[in-house]
Amino acid sequence: MASRTVAKDIITLRGSAAIVSEFFGYAANSILYNRGVYPEESFAKVKKYGLPMLLTQDEGVKSFISNLTAQLSEWLEAGKLQRVVMVIMSKAANEVLERWNFSIETDSDVVEKGVSREKSDREIMREIQAIMRQIASSITYLPCLDEPCVFDVLAYTDTDVPVPFTWIESDPKLIANPQMVKLHSFDTKIHKVDTLVSYKNDEWDEQ
Amino acid sequence: MKAQRGDSLNRIGTLQDDSTTVPPITVFRYHSSFSSSIKKHPVSAFFFIPSVGDRFLPNRCLMDLDKAHTLLTSKTPQFNTSSNFNQAYRQKLIENLSLDSQGRPFKIMVFRGSPKSSRKSIRFVDELRQEVAAIFEKDCKQTPYRCIPKGEKRVLDAPRLRNDYYSNIMSWGINNILAVALGPELYLWNSEDQAVHKLLQVRGGNDWPTSVTWSEDASTLAVGYMCSNLQLWDVESSKLIRSLQGHSGRIASTAWNGHILTSGSRDKSIINHDVRAANSLASCIKRHADEVCGLKWSTEGNRLASGGNENLLYIWEASKMSSSKFLHRLSDHCAAVKALAWCPYQNNVLASGGGLSDGCIKIWNTEKGICINNIETKAQICGLEWNRHHKEILSGHGYSIRENQNKLCLWRYPSMTKVGELGNHKSRIINLCQSPDGITVISAGADETLRFWDVFGPPTAGAGNSMVSDLQGLLSFRTSLLR
Repeated sequence: MASRTVAKDIITLRGSAAIVSEFFGYAANSILYNRGVYPEESFAKVKKYGLPMLLTQDEGVKSFISNLTAQLSEWLEAGKLQRVVMVIMSKAANEVLERWNFSIETDSDVVEKGVSREKSDREIMREIQAIMRQIASSITYLPCLDEPCVFDVLAYTDTDVPVPFTWIESDPKLIANPQMVKLHSFDTKIHKVDTLVSYKNDEWDEQ
Repeated sequence: MKAQRGDSLNRIGTLQDDSTTVPPITVFRYHSSFSSSIKKHPVSAFFFIPSVGDRFLPNRCLMDLDKAHTLLTSKTPQFNTSSNFNQAYRQKLIENLSLDSQGRPFKIMVFRGSPKSSRKSIRFVDELRQEVAAIFEKDCKQTPYRCIPKGEKRVLDAPRLRNDYYSNIMSWGINNILAVALGPELYLWNSEDQAVHKLLQVRGGNDWPTSVTWSEDASTLAVGYMCSNLQLWDVESSKLIRSLQGHSGRIASTAWNGHILTSGSRDKSIINHDVRAANSLASCIKRHADEVCGLKWSTEGNRLASGGNENLLYIWEASKMSSSKFLHRLSDHCAAVKALAWCPYQNNVLASGGGLSDGCIKIWNTEKGICINNIETKAQICGLEWNRHHKEILSGHGYSIRENQNKLCLWRYPSMTKVGELGNHKSRIINLCQSPDGITVISAGADETLRFWDVFGPPTAGAGNSMVSDLQGLLSFRTSLLR
C-alpha cells in the first residue's frame, strides 16, 4: 500500500553517534551485570532493542556511564573516536582480567562533507540485538570472576584530540597471552562497530 | 572437540577447546553431511567461511600477517637497545610506534569522571569471604604472644670445643643421646639421665672429628674426621663398625638418608655411601668448587641440598645422583652456605643461610628452583632449625658487624617477621641442633658451652599436631635409592 512505503531511514552523523554511544551504554551495563562486577540486585530491567536489558540503579555507576557516553558521542560526531575498551580488573591485585574491545570505523566522508546515509532502523536494531545476545551468552565460556572486580573504560582517539578534564592519558591495560573471541558487529553506514572480548587464560584450562 | 567442520557452524568461534555447550546463534544452517566421506546425495557444498575463528581456521582479521611474516623470516640480528639516537629521532619513533593495526596514530585515555560507586559489593559470597577473613585475622591475633624463654634451660660445659665454622660436631639422635665432638674426643650425653660417656678419642693431635651425625634410627653414629676418614660406630657396644674411604680432605658435613650416608668434604666432592654394601661407594659427585660445608636430605628423602664454600647451593634428586646432574644450582648467596634446613610442613621448601658476607636466610621452592623469601639478618648464619610445633624457623648466628651477633633469632614463617631473639653466648655460635621431640634447641658456642633452649614449645593445643606427625613417621615409607 502506498502509505506503507518504507520510510527511507536517513541516518545523520549526529544520529549515528547517538546510536553508537547509546549502544555502548547498554553494552557496558550488560557486561557489568553478566560478569557480576556489581550485584545483580542493583540492576533493573528495561526494554530496549527488543530485549530485556538491565541497567544499573546505582547512582554512581549511572552517572559515570552517562558522562562517559556523552563524551563518546561528542568524539563520534567529530569522527575522532577509534575504539572504546572496557577493562575489567581484579580489585585486589589490579590485574586486568577481561578486555571488551569495541573498535569503531568512521566513514570520513560523512564527517568531512556532512552527508547522510540510509539504513533501516530495524536492521541496525537487529544487529545490536545480536551483539547483546552474544554478550549475555559469553558467560558460558568466559572464566569465572570469583573476586571483587572493578572496571575502567579506555578510549582510543586520534592524537590531535585534547584530553578532556575528566579523562587522563593511560596505558592500554593489555592482557598477556589472552584468549580472544570476536563477536558480531553492527554498522550504521556511518560508524561500524566491531566487538571483541579478550580474557586472561583460566588456569584450569591449561593442560 | 572433534575436528569436524560442521561443528564450528553452531558455535561462537573460540580459540580454545572447551566442552561447554553454547546456545547456538542460529544464523547459519548446520550441514551435517559436510564432513562425511560418504556422499549420500549430491549436496551443494556449503562452503561456509566462518567469520569467527575456530581452532583450525584462525580469524584472519585478528592476525597481523605482515608482521608475522617478518618475524618468522627476517634474519636481522638483534641489536642491543642502548642506542645513541638523538632525541628527535626517538620522539618520531615513539609517535610511530603508537600506531594501531591500520596505521593510524592514536592515544589512549581512561575515564576518571564521576567516581563510581564505592559501596562494597553485597554479593553473598563476598560477604562470606569477608567473614572468613575476619575470623582468620582474629585467630591470628589471638595466638598470642609467643612466650620465648629468657634464659637457657641448661648449660653444659664443652671444653676444647673447636672454634671452626665449617664443622658440624653435634647431633641429637632419636634415642635421646646427644653426640658431641669436643676437640679430639667424642662424648655421648644422655638427655634422660644426663649421663656422660666418652665414645672415642683420637690420638696424635693432628686429627679430630669434624662432623657427627646419627643415623635416622640412631643405631649408627657417623663420624667424619679431619684427615678424611669416615667411621661408623655402634654406640650400644661402643665399637667401630666400619671405616669408609673415598675422600681426600676433611669431612665437614654428613647426612643420612635411610641406609645411604652422604658426606661432603674439603676435597669438593660429595660421596654417597651405601652402608650395607661391601663396596660402599654408591656415587661420587664433583660439582662444588670448594669445600662442601652443608648437606641435608629432605624429609621424604628424595632431594639433597648441598651448600659449598664457593657460595653455591645445589639441589640434587636422589635418583639422579650417579650422573652428577643437579636439579638446581642456586647462586644467590654471597658467602658460604652452611646452614640448611628442609621445611617439615611444606614439601620441597628449603631454608638456607649464608656466612659472614651474606647473612641472609633464603627460603627456596626447590620444585621450581626459585627463592620465595629472603631475610637479611646481617650476621653469619651457622645453623637453621624449623619449629615443628609452630610455623617458625630459628637461626643461629656467629660474627656480625652490626646486629644479631652470637644470638639465636626466631622468625615467624611464612611472613618472616622476627618473633624474638635469645642469646647468652659470649662468643659466636658454631652449631645448632634440635631435640627429637622438637621442643629444645641446643646451641654450641665458641665460648665452650652447650646451651639448651626450650624455645620451640609448647606443642600446639590438642597435641594433635605432634601426634599426627609421629603417626606419619611410623607409617611413612622412605623412598630409598634404587640401583
